[in-house]
Amino acid sequence: MRFLRELYVVFWKEMLVWVNNPMLPVVRALVFPMMWIVIFGSAFGGEVNHIPVAVVSEDSGELSLAYLSMLSTGRTLELKYASPSEAEKLLKTRRVYGVLHIPADFTERLRSGEGVTVSLSTDESTPQIANAMAAHFAKVSRSFSAQLGLEDAVRVERDPIYGRGVKYLDYLAPGVVMMTILFSSIFSGGLNLILDREFGTLKMLMVSPISRDAIILGKIFAGVAQSIASGVVALVVAILMGVHLKSGAAGFALVILLMFISGFGFIGMSTAFATRITQLEQLMVVMQVLIMPMWFLSGGLYPLESMPDWMKPLAIVNPMTYATDAARAVMIRGIIWETLLLDLAVISAFAIAMFLVGSYSFKKTLGGIK
Amino acid sequence: MIIEVERLRKEFNGVVAVDGISFSVERGEIFGFLGPNGAGKTTTINILTTLLAPTSGTARIAGYDVVKQPEQVRRRIGLVPQEVVLEGDLTARENLIFHGMLYGLSRQQIESRISELLDIVELEDRAESKVRTFSGGMKRRLELVKVLLHEPEVVFLDEPTVGLDPQTRRRIWEYIRTLNTERGVTVFLTTHYMEEAEQLCDRVCIIDHGRILDIDQPDRLKHRLGEGEMVEIELAERCEEFVRSLGEAGYRIKSATGCRVTVVAERSERVLAEVFSLADRLGTGIVSISIRKPTLEDVFIHYTGRSIRDEAAGDTRIREIARRLKH
Repeated sequence: MRFLRELYVVFWKEMLVWVNNPMLPVVRALVFPMMWIVIFGSAFGGEVNHIPVAVVSEDSGELSLAYLSMLSTGRTLELKYASPSEAEKLLKTRRVYGVLHIPADFTERLRSGEGVTVSLSTDESTPQIANAMAAHFAKVSRSFSAQLGLEDAVRVERDPIYGRGVKYLDYLAPGVVMMTILFSSIFSGGLNLILDREFGTLKMLMVSPISRDAIILGKIFAGVAQSIASGVVALVVAILMGVHLKSGAAGFALVILLMFISGFGFIGMSTAFATRITQLEQLMVVMQVLIMPMWFLSGGLYPLESMPDWMKPLAIVNPMTYATDAARAVMIRGIIWETLLLDLAVISAFAIAMFLVGSYSFKKTLGGIK
Repeated sequence: MIIEVERLRKEFNGVVAVDGISFSVERGEIFGFLGPNGAGKTTTINILTTLLAPTSGTARIAGYDVVKQPEQVRRRIGLVPQEVVLEGDLTARENLIFHGMLYGLSRQQIESRISELLDIVELEDRAESKVRTFSGGMKRRLELVKVLLHEPEVVFLDEPTVGLDPQTRRRIWEYIRTLNTERGVTVFLTTHYMEEAEQLCDRVCIIDHGRILDIDQPDRLKHRLGEGEMVEIELAERCEEFVRSLGEAGYRIKSATGCRVTVVAERSERVLAEVFSLADRLGTGIVSISIRKPTLEDVFIHYTGRSIRDEAAGDTRIREIARRLKH
């Protein structure tokens, strides 16, 4: 009995503290579970829909039209008609995940009861999408053949142009590398600043004659360097595990450049938060409300195409999406600048903006005399 | 004058921490700010060391304005804040090197000063140990010499011995005296330990609620209470009559709270005789009686009517509560 009473006393005190500190418990108890249910429930493993595929058709016969219309039934594919050179460009710049070639004798051969082979050039850098696409083609081709009373009349020949032999690990690795940058930026940026302030280490710099800008820049650069160090470790481990790195040393260097740019953005962001935060507990809340969703909604674990439509805007405004996408493009498809420009532009803009916000708010909290 | 402060004032969201204080410190002095926690000592130090901008008023260090010429000021000062600001993961030597680099010293300059400095505080053999492994007193000692590396003109010590055991405290006092006398460094320190102010400071500034109550040499501050010794008497009963009679007999009563009376007397043996005969006459017993030299504590009580030490403040509160519970 005595033990139970004592247990109750401790329990009671904890609960009292919990309800008397409204902000954190509400977020922890209500917002987190909702957020996670939604993210895990919808963001991953949904049906992959609206996969863009280019069609190069040399046959205008009725059977090819019938086949194409059957392919576009349902929500799986979005067909775009294109010339061979256009289609090639669309595939290269990742506007489409596949190019379907229908030969000139498609209708003719099927009429005469012969089989026909259509070729599907694919970008398999996202294996989930490539598989969904291939499965849809196989299914449609089978039922199309069956309607004609033939067996396997239309065969699909899958030809991976990009990302040949890519496995889920190859897809995952670039995201994990960038995640390492994101997470370690929080520790070497925000957390570091909070601890410095807590333990007064910042004071030591503040009373010294070095310029305030040097303090801020020095801290930020050190944070970026520390993040890159852990990012490089993640990258090397991935390569040792056999993960694709298409363009060799140049690709490696480019991924490090991506780490540098996005590291700047993340450090700036976490610094900006840290200047408004006085307790470590609050930083954990920021971690959970901001950082974890940034990672889960980046397409790092599962393609954005499988997200419900209402959730996609979150991924589109998420800078992590672009960092991950760029790293994956470089590692799996190699250095193709046209496909990297948008990603590079977005993460650079994010990095510059966050660096300015972070260093400004840092400077403001230094307070005192300039 | 190496420190000149005029009508310095600092408010935090309308709460006055430092209320228009003026004072100056001479070169080579050990100058102490004595006051209870929350008196405005750390705020003053933060302003003087350019960490905090004052709301109004001016402060100059070695002739440089702390607001307008902060960099000149920073070059000439060293600060040992209340909290330890060493990097625990670095060795003592690395901490010193980093400090020297902050002040633009060359590696040779730093190296040539390090062993001498570590020698002062008897940490030479620990130069290569991580600071994390140091005791509280060792960290304090390292902090003390760390700020000497760039040869500042003034060193600010915020509560230099808070949380240290009496023995370590005495050693720290020794080091502070050494750096003052041998290196000619002006020392500005804050403390809420009476003994520290008394033992160490050439001049003491008593501060409370952001205002300066008095500034002088410790001895002269004590003489403000009058020449002589403090006689503390605690009575069992009839306290008011007793105090009145003592006063009528011409004794200077410094304080009388309840049944505790403190009297200042040039010749304490005379007071004792008087006290015993008076107690006899009134038919009351004497619980305790003690004779001692006046301390800065008495000076503080003289000005504020209360004790400086937190513990003492706590004691009176507890006594007050106990008294109420009895009724």
